[in-house]
Amino acid sequence: MRDATLSVPHRLTPAWLVRLRSTQTATVVGAALVLIVAIGVVFAPILTAADPLALSSDILLAPSWAHPFGTDDLGRDTFARVLYGGRASLVIGLFSAAISVVVGMTIGMLAGFFGGALDEVLMRITEAFQILPKLLVAVVVVALLGSGLTHEVLVIGLLSWPGTARVIRGRVQVIRHEEFIAAAEMSGASWLRVLIRHVAPNVLPFLLVSASLQVASAIMSESFLSFLGLGDPAHPSWGLLLQQGQLFLSEAWWLTTFPGIALAMTILGLNLVGDGLR
Amino acid sequence: MLTPVARLLLRRLALAVPLVVAVVTFTFFLIRLAPGDPAAILAGDAPTPEFLAQIRAEYGFDQPIWAQFLAFLGKAITGDFGVSLYTKQPVFTVILERFPATVLMTGTAMIVASIIGVLVGVASANRAGSPADAAISAASLLGYSLPGFWVGQLLVLVFAVGLDWFPATGMEAARASYTGWRHVEDVAWHMVLPVTTLALFLLTLIARFTRAAMIEALDQDYVLVAEAKGASRGRILWHHAFRNACVTTVTVIGLEFGAVLAGAVVVEIVFGWPGLGRLFYDAIYRRDFPLLTGAFMFSSMIVILVNMVSDVACALLDPRIRR
Repeated sequence: MRDATLSVPHRLTPAWLVRLRSTQTATVVGAALVLIVAIGVVFAPILTAADPLALSSDILLAPSWAHPFGTDDLGRDTFARVLYGGRASLVIGLFSAAISVVVGMTIGMLAGFFGGALDEVLMRITEAFQILPKLLVAVVVVALLGSGLTHEVLVIGLLSWPGTARVIRGRVQVIRHEEFIAAAEMSGASWLRVLIRHVAPNVLPFLLVSASLQVASAIMSESFLSFLGLGDPAHPSWGLLLQQGQLFLSEAWWLTTFPGIALAMTILGLNLVGDGLR
Repeated sequence: MLTPVARLLLRRLALAVPLVVAVVTFTFFLIRLAPGDPAAILAGDAPTPEFLAQIRAEYGFDQPIWAQFLAFLGKAITGDFGVSLYTKQPVFTVILERFPATVLMTGTAMIVASIIGVLVGVASANRAGSPADAAISAASLLGYSLPGFWVGQLLVLVFAVGLDWFPATGMEAARASYTGWRHVEDVAWHMVLPVTTLALFLLTLIARFTRAAMIEALDQDYVLVAEAKGASRGRILWHHAFRNACVTTVTVIGLEFGAVLAGAVVVEIVFGWPGLGRLFYDAIYRRDFPLLTGAFMFSSMIVILVNMVSDVACALLDPRIRR
């Protein structure tokens, strides 16, 4: 049964990935952008000695050798705040994308595999979630239930799965009629086994595309919430830095420019990777 | 016998009405789920016992939960969203006061984005694969990847703070009270930067999807027939291909309207625009929950309505959808 699965094109294999990578320069550029940000965020303590939360009397200093990205109104080093702020943004982005991809994949696979009434119901629900203004829903939920990393991750994750669900459903509808599925069913495999062992591996490449686009969109959503003052003040993310920058827009351009560049580099990089893989 | 469009309208209503009910139900349970006493949440910080009692009676928190829910649902659907804690005015009145400013900005941005987005999308589909097309695709991916409020902040930094070409905030000059044509001019001047910011995001989306739909349409047999009959390129593009591709454009505008409204919220904050977005922001800061939930339910209803309109527009544009 497994040999049959291998013959299907678009299966996630190292060779397939390498071929894709070599054909897409945009993907390479995107991956490089993401890598630069990831290195900065992961190795923050090595790259800067400054503490992102330490106050000082050097307030609103323009960029200099001592403070490459300047300082804020409380004398905190913006370079350190951008590097450490990326941790909050990326953690929220990765975890909420994981939730949305798992939910989207489950719903998409069930709808595409079983079709009929279940498909109809699941797709109406998906449609409803697509129409809803997800960012405004997130705003009300976080404002009422309280801000914090967990709430942000859950809300963003549980609101952004419809895109993934639709893509996976479309793909499963095609795979459903392949011979190896019929073979698996005839050999007595349960529907759960068919879904997990035979269908899932074939939608993985599409899931990879969805996942990278989801991380980008989740980071964007998080920055939106933080910009509205709904971020976690204990873990200042890029959106929170931009909200603070807004208060000093005419005095301190560096407070808005640098966190925004980090945010834009990450989102653009992930979108380029997702687009390239597609 | 109903006409096909009327039947479609009914079918769409059958989706929209449960969705409105779902939004209101969700809001109701959200208020109940929020930590603490719902009456205390609606009453804001440090309320007097009398005020708490008044809220309890007003919202019927002493009633059984199903009665509370039905009362909440009935009020919300008739536009009674309660009273703002800060201004003490009915929430619906506060919303209606701010709504025109948001409609002005969002509407202008959508018109600008639709026109430019369609032109760019059609032009790049016409030269698909050319360097110009590749450059447009790259630019639209970039535009789509930049957070809207950050673009707004950069525009303020460059064109308001740096060059001083446009005002940084507000909807009209604070000190002068212009009337007539001068007033229109003044508001238009204040709109340039916020509308550019908001339009940019929608424009890139419309261009992307229109291009894809146009490439598909240009590949159809009817385009070949039109070419064989000697129709001009312009006629083929607009009369034959775009008439089929525009359904995609309208669908995208409908589906992204929620995102546009959310974008308007942050753009209004960056530019100090006195619309619904500022209302959201102030409501969050003042913990004015009736105002926040009211503004949320109102916006959701508008989004659901716009989606319905865009669906019906698609059916009018493309007889195949009417079935």
